[in-house]
Amino acid sequence: MACPEALRVQAYFDGELEGADATAVQRHLEGCADCRALVEDLARLRTAIRRDLTPVASPQLRARITQALDAQTPAPVTVLKPRAPRNRSFWLGALSGVTGSALAAGMLFVLLSPMLGSALQDELLSAHLHSLLPAQLIQVESSDHHTVKPWFAGHADVSPVVADFAGAGYRLVGGRADSVDHQRAAVLVYQHGAHVINVFSWEARRGGIARETTRNGYHMIFWTDADLQYCAVSDTGWNELSALVRLMREQGVREAHP
Amino acid sequence: MDARRARFEAQVLPHLEAAYRFARWLAHSRTDAEDIVQDALLRAFRGFEGLRGSDARAWLLSIVRNCHATAYQQHKRRAALPLPEEDDAQHAHVMVAGEPDPESLTMQRDDERTFERLLGALSQEHREVLALRELEEMSYRDIAEVTSLPVGTVMSRLARARSALKELWLKDTEGEPSGVP
Repeated sequence: MACPEALRVQAYFDGELEGADATAVQRHLEGCADCRALVEDLARLRTAIRRDLTPVASPQLRARITQALDAQTPAPVTVLKPRAPRNRSFWLGALSGVTGSALAAGMLFVLLSPMLGSALQDELLSAHLHSLLPAQLIQVESSDHHTVKPWFAGHADVSPVVADFAGAGYRLVGGRADSVDHQRAAVLVYQHGAHVINVFSWEARRGGIARETTRNGYHMIFWTDADLQYCAVSDTGWNELSALVRLMREQGVREAHP
Repeated sequence: MDARRARFEAQVLPHLEAAYRFARWLAHSRTDAEDIVQDALLRAFRGFEGLRGSDARAWLLSIVRNCHATAYQQHKRRAALPLPEEDDAQHAHVMVAGEPDPESLTMQRDDERTFERLLGALSQEHREVLALRELEEMSYRDIAEVTSLPVGTVMSRLARARSALKELWLKDTEGEPSGVP
């Protein structure tokens, strides 16, 4: 089981390797069944951890921390200095009260509103939703990668892995070009049961992109392969989406080393 | 709101969730984790000037780690290590007292049980690298910074932690069709 390359394979899985190092591991994976199994294990464990072992802070904890911080911060009301205290004290008092509660309400809103996600995720989600509108989904209709791939050459900035996985339940129905991260992204459209899966791909220019996320009920899985950033978006289940991502990554490895 | 507080809310408070996730993985219960997070955020607020240009999340998580170490030492010094069963019963009680909503209560209990079952048997060293890698998606170098370990150690520890958790998970879900990893 313990292949001497296991640690490097793990580093590859964790996105720690680039360029020639990553390519070397990809090549190794082709010939080493143990390490391929390891990658599968790592991916499954990650999915399980994120699903079952991701705790969420309670609103009570947030409130408690706000209170504790308040106790260490001078009250906002003291900032208001009455310029003419005579006859105005009532209004100033009332005003400062209003300001104080407005501030408190604002703060509470900031604390309670869920963290805003990155603009990129918003962009992908709205592109996915837009594609579901009538007549937006497909610009080149084909399950043949010999048709779809050349079409991208003229319409998108990148040339992604294109393959039909109908045998595994993911039918390639076509492709489209879409704008993502200021680029002309290539989008593959798969049909899985009743669900549409969009797989966006564009040139990877930035790190720090989350690997998986769920927004408004749509799952997104991100990965990189050969300098391309991929993102699969769908309302299908996690397992179904992950399975397609696995197929595409394997296809990527095959195409890189035919 | 004073300027310092505003800056703190803009730069550090957004990482409250990350702090809680990490604390929850390190601590033995939800309540312990909450105490650790509160302690950590107050310390962070007091020492906010020390942050400068560095990564606020990594900085906060290393404070969480220190707070947990301190709490853990105190817990150990209190000696008379409670039996695990007693410990469980205590926490269950605290939760019932604090949570009136029955639905969220069930959820939290399940959550508490899952954590205890799967992470309870995992060592501290393994938990921290796993949490930072899988939940916070930190690079090896950032994990090394938070844990004050050499990068090579992070790597090998991560590998051992993963196989340890996988074993626990397999044991835990034996016979269940949904046994995942």
